[in-house]
Amino acid sequence: MKKTIGLALIVATAAMAATLGGRTTDSAAAGVPCDGLPMGFMAPITGFVSFIGTEQLHWAQYSLDKFNQENGTTFTLSQFDTDGLDPALAQLGATKLSADKTVFGTVGPAGSQEVAAAGPAFKKSGMAFVTMSATAAALTSGKYPTFFRVVGSDNQQATGDALFMAKKLKAKKVFIVDDQESYSTGIADVAGKVLRTVGVQVQRESVSQKATDFSSLVSKISSDTDVVFLPWQVAANGQLFYQQMVEQGKKAKIFGSDGLDSGDFTAPGRYISTFARDIRGLPGTAKVIREYERRYGKNWGSFGPPTYVAAQAMLTAMKKACKDKKSSRAEVLRNLRTTRLPNTILGLPVQFDAKGQNKFAKFYVYRVTGSKKTLVG
Amino acid sequence: MDWEFFVQQIVNGVTLGSVYALIALGYTLVYGILKLLNFAHGDVFMIGAFIGYGVLILFGGSVSPNIPIPLLIVLMFLAAMIGCSILGMTIERFAYRPLRNAPRIAPLISALGVSFFLQNSALLLFSPNFRSYDSFSLYEGRLFLPLSAGPLHISPIRILVITSALGLMIVLTLFVGRTQLGRAMRATSHDREAATMMGINVDRVIVVTFLISAALAGAAGVMSGLVFQRVFHTMGFFAGLKGFAAAVVGGIGSIPGAMVGGLVIGLAESFSIAYVSSTFADLIVFAILIVVMLVRPTGLLGKADIKKV
Amino acid sequence: MSKIEPEQPRIGVDEWVATEDVLRERRRGVLGHLRYAFDRVPDGARFGVFILLVALIPLLTSDEYILRVAVDTLIFALLALGLNVVVGWAGLLDLGYVAFFGIGAYGYALLSSDHFGIHLEAQFSVPIIVAGTALVGFLLGLTSWRLLGDYLAIVTLFFLQAFVVVTTNGNSISFLGLTPTTDFTGGPNGIPGLDPFTIFGLQIDTIQGYFYLGLATMALVVVMLYLAVRSRTGRAWHALREDSLAAEVMSMPVNRLKLLAFMFGAGIAGLTGSIQAALVGGVFPGSYDVPLLITIYAMLILGGSGSLAGAVLGAITINVSLEVLRDPNHARWLFYSVILITLVAKLRPWWKLAAVLGSLVGFGYAVNSIIGALWPSATENEGAGGDAIARGVQSWVIHPAQHATEIGNYGFVALIALVLLLTVMKDPWQTVALVPTLYLAAFVWENLLMATIEAQAATRFILLGALLVVLMAVRPNGLVGQTRVEVA
Repeated sequence: MKKTIGLALIVATAAMAATLGGRTTDSAAAGVPCDGLPMGFMAPITGFVSFIGTEQLHWAQYSLDKFNQENGTTFTLSQFDTDGLDPALAQLGATKLSADKTVFGTVGPAGSQEVAAAGPAFKKSGMAFVTMSATAAALTSGKYPTFFRVVGSDNQQATGDALFMAKKLKAKKVFIVDDQESYSTGIADVAGKVLRTVGVQVQRESVSQKATDFSSLVSKISSDTDVVFLPWQVAANGQLFYQQMVEQGKKAKIFGSDGLDSGDFTAPGRYISTFARDIRGLPGTAKVIREYERRYGKNWGSFGPPTYVAAQAMLTAMKKACKDKKSSRAEVLRNLRTTRLPNTILGLPVQFDAKGQNKFAKFYVYRVTGSKKTLVG
Repeated sequence: MDWEFFVQQIVNGVTLGSVYALIALGYTLVYGILKLLNFAHGDVFMIGAFIGYGVLILFGGSVSPNIPIPLLIVLMFLAAMIGCSILGMTIERFAYRPLRNAPRIAPLISALGVSFFLQNSALLLFSPNFRSYDSFSLYEGRLFLPLSAGPLHISPIRILVITSALGLMIVLTLFVGRTQLGRAMRATSHDREAATMMGINVDRVIVVTFLISAALAGAAGVMSGLVFQRVFHTMGFFAGLKGFAAAVVGGIGSIPGAMVGGLVIGLAESFSIAYVSSTFADLIVFAILIVVMLVRPTGLLGKADIKKV
Repeated sequence: MSKIEPEQPRIGVDEWVATEDVLRERRRGVLGHLRYAFDRVPDGARFGVFILLVALIPLLTSDEYILRVAVDTLIFALLALGLNVVVGWAGLLDLGYVAFFGIGAYGYALLSSDHFGIHLEAQFSVPIIVAGTALVGFLLGLTSWRLLGDYLAIVTLFFLQAFVVVTTNGNSISFLGLTPTTDFTGGPNGIPGLDPFTIFGLQIDTIQGYFYLGLATMALVVVMLYLAVRSRTGRAWHALREDSLAAEVMSMPVNRLKLLAFMFGAGIAGLTGSIQAALVGGVFPGSYDVPLLITIYAMLILGGSGSLAGAVLGAITINVSLEVLRDPNHARWLFYSVILITLVAKLRPWWKLAAVLGSLVGFGYAVNSIIGALWPSATENEGAGGDAIARGVQSWVIHPAQHATEIGNYGFVALIALVLLLTVMKDPWQTVALVPTLYLAAFVWENLLMATIEAQAATRFILLGALLVVLMAVRPNGLVGQTRVEVA
């Protein structure tokens, strides 16, 4: 038995060395032919928020296939799983994708922390990366010169939401809960600050995404609270919170953000702010949605379509760089800066400013009752 | 003093504590017999929740079930408990029995391996989307409508959970205290070698212990689904952690200890969130637990361990 | 394949005779002679050669990804070594170990970044960090005065959870509302933008630099631990692990030994933390939590708890395996080769092996044609591409076109049931049942586990889990651990 294990170890090591060693012979030439060129992709495919990562993965794959179909290109996907929103893994992923000399651009990572960790690695290798969901405002401060983002920033969203609550909903007292992830605390903090400056009373709480039960938290909502603001990522948690609010007879209106824009959250009369119009109602998107659902099923929320658009932007840049049959990271980076998508399935155009932010990103507020969604802000 | 608020926290704490207590019982039973911390227990709980969900969907889902709701709930419990018992026995047979004579830490790693395996198999088979029992829709939401008596407001679903947990614990205590198999279990946990010499089939006792432990976890899974509704592949981790903490705080190896431990943790959690800070509630719970452990090192109801030389 | 039986201690046989028997058996054959020669090489030389070989890695490849994996492995090895002191030598179940790792990392972040504006060089910050972490280890170790075994485990676990909560929410801490709220730990965003590791003016900012830094640190720690385990303290730790009551009776200061073990482990973890923080360039709260703890425990136990070589070996095995398994082609390779090797090892008469393999191939094509004849649509699918091995396998296995996922799901459960049944069956049924089981395994592998990207991601961990269970059943003492007999 010992001998076999020893033998097995030797064989396995040799095999790994052989296969891994093959990587060092990748061409380091400045121009690489464009056939089958991979586009990098990073998302939390396994782990606690795997439903976000898989949705993003599916929409990215869909975008890639459609682009290849319509443009006759043969790009492929080189994916890296960040197993939950793990910054250390994101950095490893950035290193891995950077080390692969045939990858010239990446879509992802999904979380703002991950971008912070992966940014330096991408900066060093000069690879452009477009995120579909990392909304921290600090990311477009110029610290990450190869960073791009198709959606708006937390600041924008939080300020808009806060003002909506104060002006349109005439809230005098707001109960804000964050879910201890960087996305949530960013929005919650800014919203709280803005609300306070316009004279609204703010009660600020926090709960872990992994908590089982929100009853005690819900019981802290006072009877004169007008609005409960939940900038959360996990819609199912929001649903439970709403149900426990009903159970305890709390009458406040619920206001959520993109994470709560999903079939899992069905509180009637709720307000949702999203970084994209719900594409299900927009002209020209029906066909895209139908094809997607045929392939991947009906369960998707607001994390998918921005991925589609991010991939679209990246692929467009890659295709342009490939016009002369050769490509490089610097070329793709240059092209991304000048890429303009006049009309995307998100209902807004895409063009990046000097810091990588999509100039046209907007936030929308919806009021939803049953299946009726009305744009209110 | 806002009595309603206070009583509400007690209700929350007891509901939460009942679920934790059931999980803790599973840990305590196995530990008592094998001195083994079964880290895969939380994932058995998760599978139980999924099985219950499967039964629910099989009979039409919670919005319009095909069979009367009480029957549906009973079926969910039975299916989860039976399914998890089989799972528990399988785990014992293949992951722990070969390690009966190995150093204490080997079964721990094996348990971790089983935990990884179960969690990711669930991810693979059931997809990463959160499922919801949506018991809110049962009886058009009436299950969540609180019944009131003075400052006490408690919804029927919570009453269901608390009473079934209590019921199971009473049945377990009677079983261990009065039946022959229960006596065999107690004897084995006291001194395995002596039990063998007394003619007790230790292997069978161990199998039965795992069976009961896993069945309890399955029941806890369905309960969690009913009152907290969300079912997802990583739910076993934190519930298992809290259940494990409850078992140790109450005195691992002691059945009433597990129940007390569960209640202590559930109440501590609810009260910390409500009165101190929702952000640091977990921290406070842990601090309380550490203090309890330091004051009574073998847990609240644990027996002082007399080591034989 | 016989039932797995644990090694029984040979009570009553003279120890010298027993060792001699074992040695004589090992010296047989070429492999035996090599082993014998290997055993006679002194520890120091063995270690020196190992370090030299590892040091050559950056010279053999400039692939940043491989180097990054290598550095990560070194960091894991360091952590496993530190854990070895607490768990392997002193026998204390410390479930809060990665908190010390996190403290070291956060310590570095606070002392060498823009967060508080302090930019200490490593020769100043590292000793502070190590001392600080050891102090926290001391404090946590104080709880072991009162708590035994599993109770200590739970308290240390609580400590870890407390650490996670503090780092996640530490961006607005005010001490009981008295001091102004300060951003202590950066909250959920962590603290990015750390200085690179700067020691005596030498700034390390390439991956090769970190590799050598990690290697040097590991070598230092191994030497230190090697000397420690042979000292009186080390022997006392062993005594403590075997039977703490007897040790106490032998007038060993048991409590002080436990504290010392905690401090040692914590100090090593803190040192590693500072290196890792500099490497990543940031610290983030979620990184120092239970999944990491489980990984390090698995590495230590797999390698052999109580053995320095075991800690390092475990780290290498698990980390490299996990990375290798990322690429589906590699994973496929590993999966099939492991199965083949197990068959080679276990099916003793060579004709049995040939029979199984032959009938397996035949079985596959038979099933393929039968199903193809009955339901042509079922076998149309060619399966996803891959390298030559992949394509070869795919022509042999069925790929149902519709309902692939459901069939795959049922197949998965059926496979698990079959494998478990297989281990309890006796020959000849066992050998016969092997064939359909193996085919089913390949079927499930191709159609479910490797079919989609998200399935591949989950499969890595499924394999790791199964690997741990099997390895523990087969070699409960780890790869290079010594067989230990636990009394009671």
